[in-house]
Amino acid sequence: MKNIGSIIGFAIAGIFVMSVWGAFAEAYGIFGGWFAGLAIISIMWFMNHFLELVANEGAFVDMAAGIAVTGTMRDVFLNGAQAGIDSLPTLAFVAIGAVIAGVTAVAIEKMWAERDAAVSKGEDVSM
Amino acid sequence: MTLPKIIATIAGGFIFPFLIRLCWGALVDKLGPIGGWIAAGFIVGTTWTLNHGVGLIYQSGAAWIDMAWAAFIGLFVASALSGDDVGKGLGTVVNAILGGLLGGFILYCLYV
Repeated sequence: MKNIGSIIGFAIAGIFVMSVWGAFAEAYGIFGGWFAGLAIISIMWFMNHFLELVANEGAFVDMAAGIAVTGTMRDVFLNGAQAGIDSLPTLAFVAIGAVIAGVTAVAIEKMWAERDAAVSKGEDVSM
Repeated sequence: MTLPKIIATIAGGFIFPFLIRLCWGALVDKLGPIGGWIAAGFIVGTTWTLNHGVGLIYQSGAAWIDMAWAAFIGLFVASALSGDDVGKGLGTVVNAILGGLLGGFILYCLYV
């Protein structure tokens, strides 16, 4: 049931994002796209990550993984494998940016933790 | 892809997981679940306007590469670097791929 729940959670998030989001953006332009983020991601995050429909032991897998695969595979099913191959350069450069971001964010968290430890140490001294 | 498009796409891939990793948990810690609603609007919605609204992430082919790919990869890397178990996480990745295949197929049925 854990795996089935997870698969359903990933699939539903992907279905909403890769259909309704574009419809909001087409109907209302850039504000429609912004609002779609609020309307869709809020409740999907609550179900998948806050209530933990997506069972996730070990390293964190965001529901974005299901959304990402849904969007790419939707177009591969519709347009054929060549569409997917043509999109690999974008995927590769997005992945490079993402890896750099993950490394950088963890380094910043470490810096913040040291800063906060120094602050609380300072408070201890004053006490 | 030309060099300017490559630089723009890497930047788009960087910004989304960077904001999520640093801000989402902090918002939920401070505000509870409503912090997730604020994060959905002001992290995901606002970053969408940049990456897809004005198109910082360039699409080289006809299969959509969503900024969600960046969130998935960047957050998984960050989690692994903080000491979380990669092997156990990969089991969830398999479920994500299965869910994504299912979702993609259902949308194929919608649009075909």
